[in-house]
Amino acid sequence: MAAAVSIQGLTKKYLDVWNKAEITAVDNLNLEVGEGEIFGFLGRNGAGKTTTIKMLLGLIFPTSGSATVLGKPVGDTDAKAQISYLPEEAYFYESMTGWDCMDFYGRLFRIPEPQRSKRIQKALEDVFLDPKAWRRPLRGYSKGMRQRIGIAQALINDPKLLFLDEPTSGLDPIAHRELRDIIVNVGKQGKTVFLSSHQLPDVELVCSRVAIIHQGKLLASGTIQDLTTGDTVEISADKVSDSLAGKIRGVVPAAELVGQRLHIAAADPSKVNDVVDLIRGGGAMLLSVKPHKRMLEDVFVDVVMNEGGA
Amino acid sequence: MVTLAIAKQTLEDMLRRKILLVLLIIAVGMIALGPSVGFLSPRESSAVLRSLGLAVILLAGLLITILSGIQVIPTEIERRTIYTVLSKPVQRYEFVLGKFLGGIFTVFVMIAAMGLVFLLVLAWQEKRFDPEMLKGVVLTFFQMTLLGALAIFFSTFATPVVNFFLSFGLFIVGNLSSVTDSLISNKNPATRIMASAVHYIIPNFGNFNLQNKLIHPSVEISNANVFIVQNIVYAVIYSAVLLLLAILVFDKREV
Repeated sequence: MAAAVSIQGLTKKYLDVWNKAEITAVDNLNLEVGEGEIFGFLGRNGAGKTTTIKMLLGLIFPTSGSATVLGKPVGDTDAKAQISYLPEEAYFYESMTGWDCMDFYGRLFRIPEPQRSKRIQKALEDVFLDPKAWRRPLRGYSKGMRQRIGIAQALINDPKLLFLDEPTSGLDPIAHRELRDIIVNVGKQGKTVFLSSHQLPDVELVCSRVAIIHQGKLLASGTIQDLTTGDTVEISADKVSDSLAGKIRGVVPAAELVGQRLHIAAADPSKVNDVVDLIRGGGAMLLSVKPHKRMLEDVFVDVVMNEGGA
Repeated sequence: MVTLAIAKQTLEDMLRRKILLVLLIIAVGMIALGPSVGFLSPRESSAVLRSLGLAVILLAGLLITILSGIQVIPTEIERRTIYTVLSKPVQRYEFVLGKFLGGIFTVFVMIAAMGLVFLLVLAWQEKRFDPEMLKGVVLTFFQMTLLGALAIFFSTFATPVVNFFLSFGLFIVGNLSSVTDSLISNKNPATRIMASAVHYIIPNFGNFNLQNKLIHPSVEISNANVFIVQNIVYAVIYSAVLLLLAILVFDKREV
């Protein structure tokens, strides 16, 4: 899989006015995002997520390191024609109508008429913006409607790569869910999505791979499955007698028996064969043996806390 | 296409600014009421109207140009609208030029509106159309074009407040070209060097002031049309240089 985003040793340092204190916003970041991936970029506030995205878009410049976007150096106009960006807390020209705003952005992408009007209509329909609002000034839009316009302007050029910075923050549950579904649909169209978010349940549902960044440093990266699969095993069995449960507790003390149903939430993998043998030998019915899965939120908290991120 | 799209957006945004519209309404109102102040000098009521009209256009044009010029780029950064613009296939020079053109279109619309009212009021009072006064209005526009380019240049690195004082201050100093010109022949070498630096580096805004010559027909300008064309060419070239510098600075600026 070709890399849609490739980052090598990217570092961004800020100096204060008198050049005395140095703040490292991004510290020697190395990252690859494959084409067609929905990639989650996770971190606490001030972790360096937005700084990284802004460097990838050429809005700010790295202190050292380099990056390519769609195989081209950052800032390349041809590459920019195929990418799009929804900033966190996106602000638009308040006096413009939704349609005029989209038309303006369409012009910036040099999309000629009548193609531009068709693209605008499709993008607004794709984000489920009420057609009655299309010709109304943006100053009257709700937060959810603004985010829809934000995503619509990010879709108008039919991009290969989208940078979405906290696209669902501050939305009500319905709008939140609809926006999440829109992102899933974008991913299904084969587009690469670079999603920066605090909404870890969303990321877990939507993304195929994630990276966790803290104080500018990459702490972990991998597929959701790799990161959330724990090093313990969950075992369930039925028709377990009290005496059999006692024997099993001799192997795994944490085994719980409710009625005749036995549940072991986190067994050491080295004990699994012994427990399974006991269950089968004792006439009970083995229901499941599966790796213990952790929530992404737990993984995130563990990774960040281990780095002293309390 | 991109530059013009940004210019159009800037123009529309500027024309919705209440402060600029209030300035325009006050200026147009003052020009329209010009004939009623002719009593101040009954023998020269026409000169009073000419003087008042050109002065009001200059003053309102100055405020509109500075307020537009110092805001167009910083507002984009402050509102974060610049993120959705520069992340698209827009070159930074296209952004700066678009913002400048949008600001200048705004100034043009405002000066044209004031100039039109002025010429109509003057024609009504004098019962004839005086094309000479149009030259004054045109030169004021090019003077403001130069000032707009200066304000855009400063806006690429200075805050709006600092920019206001820089642009306004240089406009005042640039209007004293006759003073600096005379100081160039001063005996004191330090004064001479200072005066030369100010005279040749700071835009010569004073050259655009034709008010006295236009108001008093007895004052003649030799080769008036050549003088006007020279000033227009000066404004265009100086503005181009300022825009080039603005682009070079903005190209390195983080947003």
